[in-house]
Amino acid sequence: MENTAIEKQDLYYPMMSEIVKVETLTNLEKRFEIALPDNQILGHLPGQFVEVSIFGYGEAPISICSSPTKMPNFDLTVRNAGKLTDKMHSMKEGSKIGIRGPYGNGFDVTKFEGKDILFVCGGIGLAPLKSLIDYTIAKRQKYGRIIILYGTKNPSEILFKEDIKMWQGSKEIEFHMTVDKPDEYWKGNTGVITTLIPPIDLDISNTIATVVGPPIMYKFVIMSLKGKRMPDENIYLSLERRMKCGVGKCGHCQINDTYVCQDGPVFHYPHAKQLEEAI
Amino acid sequence: MYYDSNTGLNKMKRYYFDQPTTDKFVEFLMTQAEVIAPQKKGDASYSYEVVTSGKDIVYDYPRTIQPLKKYFLPPRETLLSFDSKNNEFKKTDIALNNRIFFAIHSYEMQGIKRLDYSFTQGNPEFNYLQRRENSIFIGISFNPDKWHFTKSVGISIEEVERFSLYFEPVDNGFLVFEVDDTGKELISKFGNGLSLDASMDFEVREKEFKTKIKYHYNRLPQVFEHVYNSKVWSDIAQKCVGCGTCNLLCPTCYCFDVRDEVELEISKGKRERFWDGCMLNEFAEVAGGENFREKLSSRTRHRLHRKFKYITDHSGELHCVGCGRCTKYCPANISIVEIINNLIEEYSDHQKEQII
Repeated sequence: MENTAIEKQDLYYPMMSEIVKVETLTNLEKRFEIALPDNQILGHLPGQFVEVSIFGYGEAPISICSSPTKMPNFDLTVRNAGKLTDKMHSMKEGSKIGIRGPYGNGFDVTKFEGKDILFVCGGIGLAPLKSLIDYTIAKRQKYGRIIILYGTKNPSEILFKEDIKMWQGSKEIEFHMTVDKPDEYWKGNTGVITTLIPPIDLDISNTIATVVGPPIMYKFVIMSLKGKRMPDENIYLSLERRMKCGVGKCGHCQINDTYVCQDGPVFHYPHAKQLEEAI
Repeated sequence: MYYDSNTGLNKMKRYYFDQPTTDKFVEFLMTQAEVIAPQKKGDASYSYEVVTSGKDIVYDYPRTIQPLKKYFLPPRETLLSFDSKNNEFKKTDIALNNRIFFAIHSYEMQGIKRLDYSFTQGNPEFNYLQRRENSIFIGISFNPDKWHFTKSVGISIEEVERFSLYFEPVDNGFLVFEVDDTGKELISKFGNGLSLDASMDFEVREKEFKTKIKYHYNRLPQVFEHVYNSKVWSDIAQKCVGCGTCNLLCPTCYCFDVRDEVELEISKGKRERFWDGCMLNEFAEVAGGENFREKLSSRTRHRLHRKFKYITDHSGELHCVGCGRCTKYCPANISIVEIINNLIEEYSDHQKEQII
């Protein structure tokens, strides 16, 4: 994968980029389409992240939620959870933000070729996985079944409603979702995301599971997958940490001896299992 | 892999400097570059400062409070200055003065060597490396006090690696050893026209360390393979207050935070880098409040593993240099050597049980 933008970057200096589209997804989340300067292409892998920089507010790591096949711009889904993201939510089309990256390892998409892919997405975990979902859909013939499981706390937190409609209507994609706490209009499944796993019929030896969600979720999802006798080698996780510098120096994102910004955020489960602080 | 106490002073060319010659030498150094040396600060504490008068230099000092790293990784530095109205920023120029660091102890030099490793691994860090350019180090012997344990981590008092010259106190002056070509050049420039005495015999007397780690330093990484779930970590957490002093005073700690500081005129400001420490509560906290190393016991464990295992696995060196600062200045009287010795005890008990 050619990394077009990153080679020219100094460690701590952002590329001044433009927000070209803002879309409100929920009360807490917005999707921003970003254009790098000079028509540069980010050249990311699904699962990588960038450092978003707003002068006066600092920097924050945000995962890229669009597929690298979508070019030249890329998308970030941002939850309003702090000073910088609050500021970003007030920004309009045409506003400038700084971008550094892409950083981290991302998913090894070529290794997944020919396999069935099971996506287990909890809450905002759908955003980082969406880059991989879109990628596998764009290269549909290279992959086996695409099975997406998505769970949120309540219906108001559902992201990417238009994509979900498309996934639900497609014969090429198996999509199942659930909410923990339904409201009066909710007609779908209720319960935590792990309730979606047992009913699914999987060809275990040929299925890759990718899991992203809140910290509490991993243990239970892995237990459910193990309940289906899925081997550790077939499971991948992406972990959230405080990736402050993105370049393996500041120390904030370390899990034991591993810098998440360098050797993560995507972890092969056999490796994550060795790291005591991981899950 | 690890250090040997055989430093080869015997084979080096040496000169005798009496005190007046030494004073003249300092004056000479000050004509060559900015000179930074230990100076007295307050009643019983010392600090590396820029020398304005040779008389201020303290040759016999136990340790400074702050390690030398402040000259290469400042406690606070500007990464860039910005104008948010126009979305413009300017990189910071790093001044490149020639600097001579004078009367430096071996553990301190070794601390800089460890930092060099950390800042060149993976992505080389321009700011640090820029500051490291044009630096000359002149070493000096020291008398271990009850906090030093450099020998226990494999660094001898006379370890001269990365020094250009090395000063060993003798009666009424110093023996000065030529360690490398830069040192040789300094001596020849300084000695021009002077007759320097190069004949004196010497013998390095072994100095006793009061504080010792129970195992040879070669075995410590192995101990750390087995003590992750030790109860020692929670024992320390009972006393530790999580102030992060040990991080800030450690010559090999380099973790940092980056924050934007806005000037009164709101659109202008600076992106600043600050020292940070893994012992501080918010260190591993993410937006939204999840804290991935909330317990004091896991924070101490992380700090010690970074000194004796995590980086060591890659660099082949312990990243504790035995200066004793974290212990001497700990407000809760926690001793790093005691932690390690307790871990060793637990480890050796466990090994014995396995044999039985």
